[in-house]
Amino acid sequence: MTFRLTCPVCGARDVYEFRYGGQERGPRPEQAQLSSDEHFRWTQFRMTRPEPQEEWWYHTGGCGVWFTTWRNPATNREEPPHEVERG
Amino acid sequence: MSSIDHSHTKFGRLWKTRPLKRHYDVVIIGGGIHGLATAYYLAKEHSIKDIAVLESQYIGFGGSGRNTAHVRANQRTQQNVKLYDEGLRLWPILTDELDFNLMFFNCGNLSLAHSEAAVSGFRLAINTATFSGVKSELLDPQQCKEVIPALDISDRPAHPIQAGMYHPPGGTIRHDALVWGLAKGADKHGASIHQGVEVQGIDVDGPRVTGVQTSHGPISCNKLAVMAGGYGASICTMLDIELPIHPLTIQAMVTQPLKPLLNCVLSSGAYHVYANQTLKGEIATGAHMDPQVNYTTDVTAHYFKHQAEALTDFMPCLEGVRFLRIWAGLADMTPDMAPILDGNVMFDGLYIDLGWGYFGFKSGPITGKYMAEFIAREEAPEILAPFALSRFLENRYMGETATTMKYGHWD
Repeated sequence: MTFRLTCPVCGARDVYEFRYGGQERGPRPEQAQLSSDEHFRWTQFRMTRPEPQEEWWYHTGGCGVWFTTWRNPATNREEPPHEVERG
Repeated sequence: MSSIDHSHTKFGRLWKTRPLKRHYDVVIIGGGIHGLATAYYLAKEHSIKDIAVLESQYIGFGGSGRNTAHVRANQRTQQNVKLYDEGLRLWPILTDELDFNLMFFNCGNLSLAHSEAAVSGFRLAINTATFSGVKSELLDPQQCKEVIPALDISDRPAHPIQAGMYHPPGGTIRHDALVWGLAKGADKHGASIHQGVEVQGIDVDGPRVTGVQTSHGPISCNKLAVMAGGYGASICTMLDIELPIHPLTIQAMVTQPLKPLLNCVLSSGAYHVYANQTLKGEIATGAHMDPQVNYTTDVTAHYFKHQAEALTDFMPCLEGVRFLRIWAGLADMTPDMAPILDGNVMFDGLYIDLGWGYFGFKSGPITGKYMAEFIAREEAPEILAPFALSRFLENRYMGETATTMKYGHWD
């Protein structure tokens, strides 16, 4: 089944109107003294847990806005973050 | 004692259901072709019999039963071609060894190029294949039409056909037969297969994995192999392991049965289509991946429309043919379109066989053979060495994405 995402401008729209921009992972690390190991970890390494994660999306087939939303990869649906504690 | 438990039926069961023990030498997570093949070769060639294959659903539930069963060895890089070529030559041997008809249909593969850049990509891949002793050749549009008369090679399609890459050694396999045959072989040599046992946690003691927590209680082991295909990245999050893997849904579908018209596997990067005609006469066709990471097997009408438009554009005779069925599986994509095969890197005793993307089917048994050697000897066989996880941190990406079959936004 296809699903809808909530664009902050246009409201709930079909997912195929959007482009996926990947997980939100904080600010880009400073280039100075950045090791290749750290660089590749930031650009490519991901932890895709089967629980809600914050993601970037681009409304390419609509208003053209970039926004973040929480979506659960286990269900594909938008879902608020779970309260979990990891130590 | 007979190896068949259920002698009351004419043919009996292919494998036994054994009691689940609390300890095994090797625990393999994932009852697909990678896990089953690894268990088969560990038991058969390395005399490690104390093996449990844990499958949360039923064997072949994941990618092993959801692919389009295409096999080929015309990838871009030598390291990949070497592995896939050996894999291709394994099918007839396995059919004999497993005493099970895998229905290997050596019909060949034809990939289509619709741009100059794609033709150049084919030349690269063909040169790699030729250098590696694999048959692969460039065809002009007229020769493509001789292979598949239903192709429209005129200028009418949105992306006219400019050339073809013809790879006679490829073809298709019956994927269920492969799952069942490997399960039969693994069981015969002593490995035990446990369906419906879900891994819910992984136990570690310092730098070492020591076992798993499952829906059926804890199981300890000396070595743990994660071979769960698209679900593997999720299993690795139990150990807080980050990987350069994007699990994406990939959809495939079949039409109503037709008279024979497509006598080899056909693919087109520009149209995002790969198709073959099954032995039942259906056109089985696979699409591009959905873009967002997810662990579902959701299917969408979007791809019915996409596949219909694409196939009928360069094979107009398919207009009006109806799709009967659609399904989806997971492709665990890496940035360089090559898998991650490694052991003892993040934790001692932990082996991973992941990141195959949509190449996991054609590589299954041959990878199982070498992963078994890796696990038994605790040292990567030479053929698997290029696929170590460290390549991503050392900026040594494999060159698979240099081909025109390059799909996707992550590369």
